[in-house]
This record gives sequence, structure tokens and C-alpha cells, in this order.
Amino acid sequence: MSTPPPPTSPIVPPWRIGVDVGGTFTDMVLRDAAGAVRIFKSPSVPADPSEGVLGVLRLAAQQLDLPLSALLRDCALFVHGSTVATNTILEKKGARVGMLTTEGFRDSLEIRRGIRENQWDHRAPFPEVLAPRYLRLPVRGRIGADGTELSPMVAEDVDAAAKVFAAEGVESVAVCLFNSFLDGAHERGVGAQLAESWSGKWVSLSSEVMPTMGEYERGSTAVVNAYIAPKVTSYLNALDEQLRQLGLPRSLLLLQSNGGAVSVADVASRPVMLVLSGPAAGVGALKGCAAPGEPANLISMEIGGTSCDVMVMAGGDVPVTDALVIDGYHLTTPSVEIHTVGAGGGAIAWVDDAGLLHVGPQGAGARPGPAAYGLGGENPTVTDAQLVLGRLRPGPLAGGAVTLDGALARKAIETKLAQPLGLSVEDAAAGVIRLLEQNLLHAVERLSIERGHNPATFTLVAAGGAGPMHGTNVARSLGAKRALLPRAAGAFCAMGMLQSDVRQDYLKVFLADLDKVELTTLEAGFAELEARAGDAPILEREVDLRYEGQQWPVRVALNGLDTAAARKKFEAEHQRLFGHIQPGGRIDITALRVIGRSRLDWTPPAARSPQVGTPTPREMRKVWVDPAHGWREVPIYDGADLRPGCKLDGPLLVEERTTTAFVGPRDRLEVDERDDFLVHIGAAP
Amino acid sequence: MTTATLDPVTLALVQNRLDHISHQMGWVMTRTARSPIFSQSHDFSCFIADARGTLISQADGIPIHTGGGGFAVRAILRDFKDRIEPEDVFLLNDPYTAGGNHLPDWVIARPVFAGAKLVAFACNRAHQADIGGGAAGTYNSAATEIFHEGIRLPVLKLIEGGKVRDDLWRLLMLNTRLPEALDGDLRAMIGSTQIGAERLALLVEELGSDQADDFFEGVLAHADRRFRTCIARLAKGVWRAEEPVDNDCFEPIDGRIVVTLTVEAERLIVDFAGTSPQIRGFKNSSIANSTSAVFMSLASFFEPDLPKNEGAFRSVEIRLPEGTLVNARAPAPMTMNTVFVAHEIIHALWKALGQALPDRASAGWSKAVHAVTAGIRDDGGRYVMYQWAGAPAGGGVEGRDGFHLIGHLITLGGLTLPNLETYEQLYPVRFRRQELRCDTAGPGRFRGGAGCDYEVEMFTPADYAFRGEGAGAPSSYGAAGGRAGAGGEVILTLADGKKIQAPKYGVERHGPGIYHARSPGGGGYGDPRSRDPARVLRDVRDGVVSAAGAERDYAVAIAADGRGIDEARTAELRRTA
Repeated sequence: MSTPPPPTSPIVPPWRIGVDVGGTFTDMVLRDAAGAVRIFKSPSVPADPSEGVLGVLRLAAQQLDLPLSALLRDCALFVHGSTVATNTILEKKGARVGMLTTEGFRDSLEIRRGIRENQWDHRAPFPEVLAPRYLRLPVRGRIGADGTELSPMVAEDVDAAAKVFAAEGVESVAVCLFNSFLDGAHERGVGAQLAESWSGKWVSLSSEVMPTMGEYERGSTAVVNAYIAPKVTSYLNALDEQLRQLGLPRSLLLLQSNGGAVSVADVASRPVMLVLSGPAAGVGALKGCAAPGEPANLISMEIGGTSCDVMVMAGGDVPVTDALVIDGYHLTTPSVEIHTVGAGGGAIAWVDDAGLLHVGPQGAGARPGPAAYGLGGENPTVTDAQLVLGRLRPGPLAGGAVTLDGALARKAIETKLAQPLGLSVEDAAAGVIRLLEQNLLHAVERLSIERGHNPATFTLVAAGGAGPMHGTNVARSLGAKRALLPRAAGAFCAMGMLQSDVRQDYLKVFLADLDKVELTTLEAGFAELEARAGDAPILEREVDLRYEGQQWPVRVALNGLDTAAARKKFEAEHQRLFGHIQPGGRIDITALRVIGRSRLDWTPPAARSPQVGTPTPREMRKVWVDPAHGWREVPIYDGADLRPGCKLDGPLLVEERTTTAFVGPRDRLEVDERDDFLVHIGAAP
Repeated sequence: MTTATLDPVTLALVQNRLDHISHQMGWVMTRTARSPIFSQSHDFSCFIADARGTLISQADGIPIHTGGGGFAVRAILRDFKDRIEPEDVFLLNDPYTAGGNHLPDWVIARPVFAGAKLVAFACNRAHQADIGGGAAGTYNSAATEIFHEGIRLPVLKLIEGGKVRDDLWRLLMLNTRLPEALDGDLRAMIGSTQIGAERLALLVEELGSDQADDFFEGVLAHADRRFRTCIARLAKGVWRAEEPVDNDCFEPIDGRIVVTLTVEAERLIVDFAGTSPQIRGFKNSSIANSTSAVFMSLASFFEPDLPKNEGAFRSVEIRLPEGTLVNARAPAPMTMNTVFVAHEIIHALWKALGQALPDRASAGWSKAVHAVTAGIRDDGGRYVMYQWAGAPAGGGVEGRDGFHLIGHLITLGGLTLPNLETYEQLYPVRFRRQELRCDTAGPGRFRGGAGCDYEVEMFTPADYAFRGEGAGAPSSYGAAGGRAGAGGEVILTLADGKKIQAPKYGVERHGPGIYHARSPGGGGYGDPRSRDPARVLRDVRDGVVSAAGAERDYAVAIAADGRGIDEARTAELRRTA
């Protein structure tokens, strides 16, 4: 990786900017009106992420030879993926939270339904409860199971709680009353009473944050929202204000966990929707990976320094679920389905006390990072193995932010792996890569099996800075025919931000027998949600359905209140997901959903001029290829030399600005019409 | 080839691959099974055995199934020796003759071949919704013989050369109250082992069938080496412990599980000599279940990532005296054994292990008191509601307090409790309370978890199947100077105000009323007087411990305003303690 070269063509206004703040780097992608894409990368500033955003903007302005004000003034759309919500939770830097619940139920948050992430690890404590019991206070009043009021809300209880909150320095209050998903009136009453008797301004009502059924997850979501709101909302408002003052003509958009963008104003009361802000942009990025005219059946592995995010897009859709876990806290926010495993370039390889080799899940992080960084890391990582195997080039990385030292990598692998295992350094390094790729394969197989897909029929998209190194091998093991290695793999999510729709999800719990439901009631339910969606140009209706007595609903589209069509779709989906149906069985509606969407029209990237002649490798290098081929002299290409139409047979390596791509023997690399690297597995003679 | 000469990289790949295959079977099972018990409670386990019936992987599954699958596969090898063919599928459940653990857990086992050579078995053990017997839903607390508990299956060829034996299938369907569920769940089990067998065959083909055996042995040998490093941490010697069994499901008894743990160099002997004779009720254990309980105790005592294969326990010798609670003679009933006496076996062995390595000791988990209620709705429909949201609590260990109402010990907290809002939609009930019980957590430097007050109004008459093992005397225990948590009770208040104290076992029919469970607390770890006073203060502020309890149990004096510690008095209390 090196600093981006100066643009070869003049930049054409207006343009769009996507900025993704990661743990180590802040990525920026700019696409101008002519469709030309430019990528910039600068170090993140964890203490103040907005500094990282401004830093990458200044870098871009400087390299484009524009004043910062001009760069922002001609920006028609600014989409931001921010880790500030996630980090506030991970670093436990949120507000002091109080909670109001229905009398008798103030412990749901701490009981946590007894969910243990790894039951065998029973010595691990639960994460700290975000609202301590002495700040979880009861309010009398009760809504019944049919939504009617059994006893009125007692305002004096709120006043009494407000006194405690004031005395205890509570900064933010969450409210979750029993059965409020059926009627939020009591919660709104509590909110109004708090406005009277409490001086604080941050109140999160569970029925407004996300009115799902289930007091634990709904309450937990309201509490996490309350916990992060003061910090996150203030940060976003300040950043927006700052960019506007610097010249940005309209408010920035933020990427939500559901894969859609939203304005700062629209997310200000529900910042908990931003927890997956970065990775969820993978949905937009995947849309750009689908081959024109073909169904978009793609599985992506986005591999960064510490982890790999796997996502399945079937027929152009990535499932959005209501379940998300962040650092042990349960959320019921609409979230793109992502399976994350601890397998990245920084994954640590180690030998256990009985002599078995393991890779991950622990990573070396950005600091000290891989041994080759020379920042004090002594544990060998995947990056170190790649260096030893000749697949990564020693020397400066990411514009000189770090330097890879091959000797340090070798030493770490020799002392920590090769000697204890009785292997050569090269064999140990090759073993590390094979184990990592096995982890990746298993992660992809898991998500596809759980969702009822055959991964062999999908194209594997290997993104993230470390993805293109492993894409072809994992695709081969899956039985897939194609692997797509995006040229801008290292800025995949920032790229996705420019291709994401604006999207808001609205939900209403609605319990009825699908075959007997009154269509007027159903219509009224949808109308209520659509009113909340306001002026979104596209409104999509969906229902959650399940067989009577089952636990997990299946979500299907409902057009024109055609319940018979919904039954058919449900049965098809149920068959695929669960392998059986109950012909004629009673199907219950459990929720209505409206998705308000507006598509951001986007011009496909400008076509680069096609390949002429055969490109010349930058060099030949001795590289370990695979167990069957061992070490070979392998051509190393400069990515800039490979243009659409170019076809090359592996083994080979391509060095790009944000990634290095590996193409195996018997695989054929084709630069496709979008200028990405499409690898046909086993297609070379 | 000895395992020392195996390529270490391939060995690591094979280990991961085997675990991935058992996981894959589990994902298929979760996705395709009919009964909610599998997706909600994960009451099944998928495992792989080698050609000799040695368990080589069980990455997936409920902890109380740990390490027990080999008995089933060895029973198949014993009964069908030379008549195991490709495309056969075996079924069994009998704990006395077929390596089962208890009758409701059925095992589907599919042999895997490389050419004509038997190389492995892909298996699934899963709890069926109903198998006949004296009570719907497999748990018959009135059983005094195994014949009252459902259909007994010796090792059967359910599928022969790829053809399902229809006559046998019909026999099975005749012996259940829920043929649709059994049919669907059996198909899911068969489907999951099909996937497992295909993936195993591919693995064996890649390795070559001779080498595959060597690598399977390498995986077992690695687990063996890892567990020997665990044994090395235990103090050598003979450690005795016992756990009471205070009822036989009908009346009080003075029973006990007694264990003698002998720690030698690289060897453990777990001897249950002295354990009480088998009992009339259905808590008697089988060889497979007692072995699993021992393996679960050992695995949970040490590291969470210990391989769960039989190699890990090669250095462990288990002695189960015949005719006792841990190895009953036929026809003693035994359906409850995977919960009780598994709980008691684990407690007894944890206590013994805790003497040999006090830093690692775990205080006891309390026992459940939850009833199962079955009634008729207004619309005539029948419902069955588990009152398990009133769950028991976990014990403390070094570094963390016990979990509040976490559920059964035998799942290590793997059971997910329901949202009460959901239950109000499903059943004719209204909840009144589910809150932590003050002063029920066993005192300790790391205290036990609190039990709960659980109150629910039942609108219809219902049959109450009581399972109140945790009612009465404390059912947890303290470790390393900690103390047991409070006992539990279940009280039913009927419409006329009459209060009924629930028995430990039994089925009773009652009219509408309020079901009130006070679940027991978990045990504490370490001397409570050494607990960080700041943590005691937090417990008092939280209402988990009273100010009086803080003074009495923890020697911490709380300031008059309830918000701080009276440092001087605390110093005084702790000095005289």
C-alpha cells in the first residue's frame, strides 16, 4: 500500500464522499460526477473520531489540490460510518443511566433471560449491567396482554424516582414498561412526567426506540440507547455543525445497522441504530459487486486486522433481523445479518500446552500489531506468515504509517511456532495460512447452512484489506466457481456508503391468524406505520409470520393485503430455511413492518479504458503457493497495469493501493467491466 | 505411524474439521427439527465416533451429554458386529441394554465407510417430545419402573441399506402421543447425520482411510495430553465428598452421592463407593449418564475449551457400583437422571475437586423448583406451560459472583428463559413479579446468585406437575469458606385464599389461583468477611443483601443514609471477626 497517486483526470463536481472510521484507519472514497473513484486513507484518532474524519478530508483536499471548503461545498452527498456508538459501549464511556419499569419487573435487565454466549465458559462474568439495580425503579400501573389498561400509571412514582435520579447524578433515563409494545401510552405518560419532575434531558422510551415484544431485549435496547445517547448524539451534532461551517451544503448522512443511511436529525433520538454503522455498509458495497443481468447471489468475507465479517446476499437481499449482540448486550434493532469471527490479518497463531497449533481468535490489534510492525509485538500473526511466505512485500505499509520487517516476522514464527512444532519456519507459516483459511471457510459454511443456502452456487466476494489474499482459496474449498476481489477491497465499506439507500424500519407488534385477520385492521396497522415513515418515496410492507407455537418468525413481503400470496411465500421460505412445511397449518402474524426507503441514484463507476496487450509483471518473486505446489517464482503485478478485459492465469499476486490479491494455480484472473478482479476458480489450463 | 510423527498442521486441521462437522450437524438439527425444544433449549448433542466407538468429537450439545455418546456406538458394534453396512442407520434409547442415558434421549447413529471399511459414526442424541409411558411429555414422576416411562428401544436398524424399515417406523409412531413431532424430529436427526456422514467421508477420503485413523488417534492423544496438564494442577491425594439426596420422589430419604477422588501422577480415579442404593423414584442414573456427569464436572472445573472427546478422559477411571443411585439395576426408573441425580453427582465431584485445587473450586448451584402446568383455555385448547422463569441460581467462583436465576446446573446456564410478555400472549396468565430475592445469595468473597420471587396469576384450572427439588433446605453449597444460599419454596394461593405448599414431586389439580415460586439462592465462594466492602455496599444499595445481612455475614457496616460504608465500624467488625 502506498499513498494514492495524484488523480490523472480533473475532478468533476458535484461529487459524493463516503467516510468509514475504522479502528486503525479512516477510509474515504470520493466519486465524482464522471464516475471516477478516488480513495484516501489516514490514521484514525480514537480519542476524537471527528479529528480522523477531518484529517482524511484535509489529506484529500491537499492531494486534489483543492481548498477544504471547496471539497465540501461541491459535495452533494456525505455518508459517514461511525464507530462512535460501538466504541462508547466497548470502552464503557456512556452516561450514568437510570431506568423505570413496571412494578415487579425491575430485574429483567439483570436477569438477561439467562443467556450465556458460551455456556462452557461459566467462570466468565456477565458484562456490567448498564443501569444498576438501585437506579432501576418501579412505577405502578399495568397494561394487559390485550393492550388495555388494567390499572393507571402512577405519576407520583415517577416523581419519587426523579428525586433519586437527581440525587444520584443520573444523566439519562430509559423507560421500559410491561407490555408497552402493545400500547406506549403509559411510557409516554412517564416521559411527560419526567419532563416535569426531572431536570435531565435524555429520556429513551422503549416503545419509541423499538416496540418489539419481549421485555428483556426491548428494555436492554432502551438502556443501551440511553447509555450512548448523550455522547453519540452530541458528537454527531457537533461534527455535522463543523462540516456545515466548513462548507458542506447539507447535513451528513449516517449509516445504520440496517444497512441504510439516515440524517443526523432522524437518528438523534435513536443512536442505538448506529451500532453496526461500519460493517452494515457491506450491503451497499455488495450491490455494486453484482454482475449486471445476473441474480445477485453473493457471499462476502470482509477481512480486516482482527476479524472477518461474513454476509450473504441472496437474490439481491441481505436479511435484516431484529437481533444484535454488542459486547454481551442484547439489542432488538433492525440489523443486517452478519456473522463475525476472530480471523484477520492480525490473528495470533499459537501452540497450546499439548502441542496443537491454533490461529485466533485473539488478535494483535493495531498496537502492538503483528511482530513485523516492530512495535513490540512478539506473537506471530497471519500477516507475519504472509511475509515469510513472500506474499506480502516488506517495507512501508499504508503510506508509511507502519513498516513491515521480514526478519521480525521470521523470528516470531520460528520461536513461537516452528520450534515447538518441529517444523521449518516456512512450513509453520504455511500452516498458519491454511488454518486461517479453514476458519474463514467454516464461518462462510456456518452462515450459509443456517440460512439454507448452498454456498457453491454463490460468488465469493473477498474484501477488506486482507480479503483478496484468501478469497480464491476459500472459494475453491467452498466449491464456488468465482471469487470477486474488489480493487478497492481495503475501502469496501466506505465504497458501500456511496451505494446505500436511505432507509428507516418501522415495526408494530400485531398478533392475528393470517387466514382470519380483518383486512381493515391490517390496513390500519400498516397505515399507522406509514404515517411515521413520512415522505419516504418508497414504502415496502412486510409481515412476520410463523406457524402457531413456533418461536422464530419468517419475514415476507405483503403486497395489496394478499394474505394467500403471503402464505405461499412463507411456505417457500420455511421450506428453504427449515426443510419442511405444515400444509394448511395455522400461520400467525406476529408483527407488521414498513420500510421507508429512498434510493440514491448512483452512476456506475466510469469505465476504464480496456486492456491493450499483455501487462508486464512488476517483478518475479519466490512465493509459497500451496501445499501441492510449494515455492514458485511468481509474477507480481502492479494493479494499475491491469485494465478491464485483462486475463491472466495464476499463480500470481497483484499489489493494489489498499490490498494485495493472490490468485492460485489453475485459477484465471479476469479484470471485469467494473475494473474489479474476478477470479474463475480452476479455469486455467 | 505413531502420533508423534503426524504432521502437526494436518492434525490441527483435522481437529477443527471434526468439530466443524459436529457443529454442522447441530445447525442442521436446529434448523430442521419440529419441536421447539431443540431450537429453544438445545436439548440434543451431535457427535462423531471412530470405528471402535470412541467419541472423537462432540463440539456441539448440551453439557450433560458430554462424553456419553461412545456407550451407544459401542452397543451398536457389540450387537451388529459384522452386519453394519453402508446406508444403514441405527436407533436406540435403552439405558440398560443399549448405551442410552435415559429413555427420552434417542440416538440416531450412521456408520461412515471408506470403500468397504467402516471408519466412523455420525450421531445425534436428542430428547423426544413424547415416547409414550405413564405421563405426557416423557417425565412421569409417579414411575417406579422403567416400563412406566415409555418405549424401550434396543439397538435397532431403522434404515437398512438406505431403506427405511416401515414396520418399525409405524411401531415407533404408535408409541407416542405426538406422532407428528416424533416423525419430524426423527427425520431432522436422520438428515443431520446424513450431512455429518457425507462430510466425514470426504475428510477420510482426503486423508486416506489408514491415515484418517492415525489422525483420529492423534486428536484423542492431544486431548489426553491436555487433560493430563489439568490433572497436574490437582494436589495428589485422596479426596472425599458427598452430596445429599433427600427424597426418592415419594418421601424423604437419607440418601447421598459419595465420591472418592484419587489423584495420582497423570491419573484420576473417581469412585462412587458408599453411594446410596437405587431408589423407588425416577432419579436413578445409568452408566452413560453418570459418566457424562463426571466428564461434565471435570471439563467445567478446568478450561472451557478442553476438547470434549473421550481422549480427554483417558486418564480418568470411573467406578460406578452396581445397584446404587449412579448405576441402577433394571428395571429402576430413570428419566429424571439427566437433571437429578446428575446435579448431585456434579456437586459431589466439584466438592472433591475443590479440595484438590481450592482456587478453582466452584460453589454449588441451587436446584430448580419449577412446576409444569397444563390447563384448558377458554377456547377449549390445551396448553402446557413451564414455570421455569422462576429459575434457580448459580454459585460463586474466584473472580465472579454467582449468576442470579440462571437455570439448571446441567446446562451450565445454557437454557434461555422466556420473556414474560411472550408467555402472557401464549397462555391464560398474568405475571405479577419476577424479581431478585433479598438475602438469598450464599455469602462469600464472591457471593452466590440470588433466587427470585416469581408470581403469576393462573386464570384457569390446571394440573400442576411439581418438580421442587430446590424446595426446603438449601440446595447449593458454599466453597472455600463461602456459605450456601437460601432454600426455596412454591406456594399456590387459590381463589378462596387457601394456601397450598407444593410437594417436591407429584401431580395435583387445582382451580385458578396465584402460583408463587421463591427460587433458592446459589452458594458463595470464599470467606464473606474478605469480600470487598465496596461490593457489599453495592449489594445493599441494590437490595440483594440487607444492611443487617451485610453486618451479620460480611462484617460490613452500612452508614445510616444507606449510601456509604461506616468505615470505622466495619474495621471494628472485621477485626473481631
